[in-house]
Amino acid sequence: MIGRVAVPVVAVVTLALPAVLDDSALAVYILLGLAAMVTVGVSLLMGYAGQVSLGQGAFYGIGAYTAALLTLGGVPPLAGLVAAPVVAAASALVVGTPLLRLRGHHLAFATLAMQLILLSVAGQLEFTGGDIGLQGIPQFGVGSWEAGGAAAYAYLTWAGLALVMLVTRNVITSRPGRALRALATSETAAASSGIPVGRYKLVVFALSAAFAGLAGGIYCYYTGYVAPGSFPVLISIQYIVMAVVGGLGTIWGAVVGATAITLLVQGLDGLATLPGMPSYAPTVLSYAVYALVLIGMVLFMPRGLVPALSRRRKSLSERV
Amino acid sequence: MLTVTGVSRSFGGVYAVRDVSLSVADGEVCGVIGPNGAGKSTLFNLITGHLAADRGEISFLGRRVDRLAPHRRARLGMSIVFQAARVFRGMTVRENVMVGMHGRTNAGFVSAALRLPRHRRDEREIAAEAERALGRVGLSEWADRPADRLPIGQQRALQLARALCARPRLLLLDEPASGLRGEERERLAALVEELRAGGLTILLIEHDVAFVTRLADRVVVLDLGQVIADGPPAEVRADPLVLAAYLGQAS
Repeated sequence: MIGRVAVPVVAVVTLALPAVLDDSALAVYILLGLAAMVTVGVSLLMGYAGQVSLGQGAFYGIGAYTAALLTLGGVPPLAGLVAAPVVAAASALVVGTPLLRLRGHHLAFATLAMQLILLSVAGQLEFTGGDIGLQGIPQFGVGSWEAGGAAAYAYLTWAGLALVMLVTRNVITSRPGRALRALATSETAAASSGIPVGRYKLVVFALSAAFAGLAGGIYCYYTGYVAPGSFPVLISIQYIVMAVVGGLGTIWGAVVGATAITLLVQGLDGLATLPGMPSYAPTVLSYAVYALVLIGMVLFMPRGLVPALSRRRKSLSERV
Repeated sequence: MLTVTGVSRSFGGVYAVRDVSLSVADGEVCGVIGPNGAGKSTLFNLITGHLAADRGEISFLGRRVDRLAPHRRARLGMSIVFQAARVFRGMTVRENVMVGMHGRTNAGFVSAALRLPRHRRDEREIAAEAERALGRVGLSEWADRPADRLPIGQQRALQLARALCARPRLLLLDEPASGLRGEERERLAALVEELRAGGLTILLIEHDVAFVTRLADRVVVLDLGQVIADGPPAEVRADPLVLAAYLGQAS
């Protein structure tokens, strides 16, 4: 119901924005779209399937490094972009096999540890460029066409987001999706309905990793460099805050949450880089704000923005 | 249909179920009763596969199942109605029932994401079967409500519909009457009677003796993890061992 109104509006705005925004605003717009892409995966994983991951940033990084390494090695960028989600998903299958035996905050800490390990490994290895990372990644392009400016990446990003949202919607409103939502409540009852719980948890983990990997792939072509510092643990926490703020278990919530948090952080960055502010101000401010936003949401709007708003609209229309 | 032979399971050196044997014949309603702590739930979980037996064999439809995962046993035709409200939250009544069809359909993530013909075929079949199951338990008009807001009696009916959706060969009911008020209990008993009349094989594990003796063809009595009686309801009710077990706990 929300979709019927929102889809055309969002589509028009999305298509129009790259034409009117300047480059610095476009940068925000692209990073927002990439964050939303990862957050849709987080919402699918946490909101629908009831699994936690504090390591989605790792899959974002794996996607970025995959695309960067392949393209620097002479593979066409399109192949690099396709490989990014595939490698991210494959990595999720490998690490998920032991990790997904854990539940709740054990799983959260294990995924967090996974990201920390990955970051330090990437910072040590020679072929990933160590702490400096990889630079001079060619522009994205298909055949003879090359993405010339930020606007092209904006379209690419939001097309990717649309694809991710469509896949997610199709999955959750189907047999496997119902199985995921079922096992979120009770793995016992789900198994007794014939659902292979372990396998389904692994597949949804891989799918959410693929979304993050795709976003990472686009990111590396857009910025032209990747380094361990591009994928701090904070970024994984940010995705969770976005998903919770927008509303876990709603696809649009991921987009709304990503938008709200990105704009908020953008405003804070402006504040933190004012003359006279200490150099650590941006980091401290963003951690503090994530914490405050998360606490505030859980207290006052535990289901997130989108469910709260749609319920208010519904109750209004019922009154009329 | 179901044969349990010499099954034991202990927790920390204490037997919850000790050397239990029982069998359920095709088309029979078999009741398992026993006082609290008799091992009913443990036995139930051993049969469904949510617990592994230390010793013993469980066969279903002539096939050993004691090493199979729960979802595999479900796919062979065991359907369960749990004692605790195990309705899936955040889903409608209809969606809950549709989950019951999982084992009988195949459309996976790829067909769903790409909306392949197989997805559409399965969805049609699942929706039709769910509709039928909802009708059978009288939940059709509640179909589009959130499942977790149903009263407990209807949640139990919902679980029953979900179980029926799987077209079970054996229906396992774990304390189906617990927590139900008189009228709800009556409605549930009528439903089970209807299923029995339809020829469905049922294993009924229940604390409430009157509920079981009314519905079961045969009653197995557990006490302290062991079978102390096995026979027709009237006979078992008169058994001195059974009387002692129930009186012994002063209920």
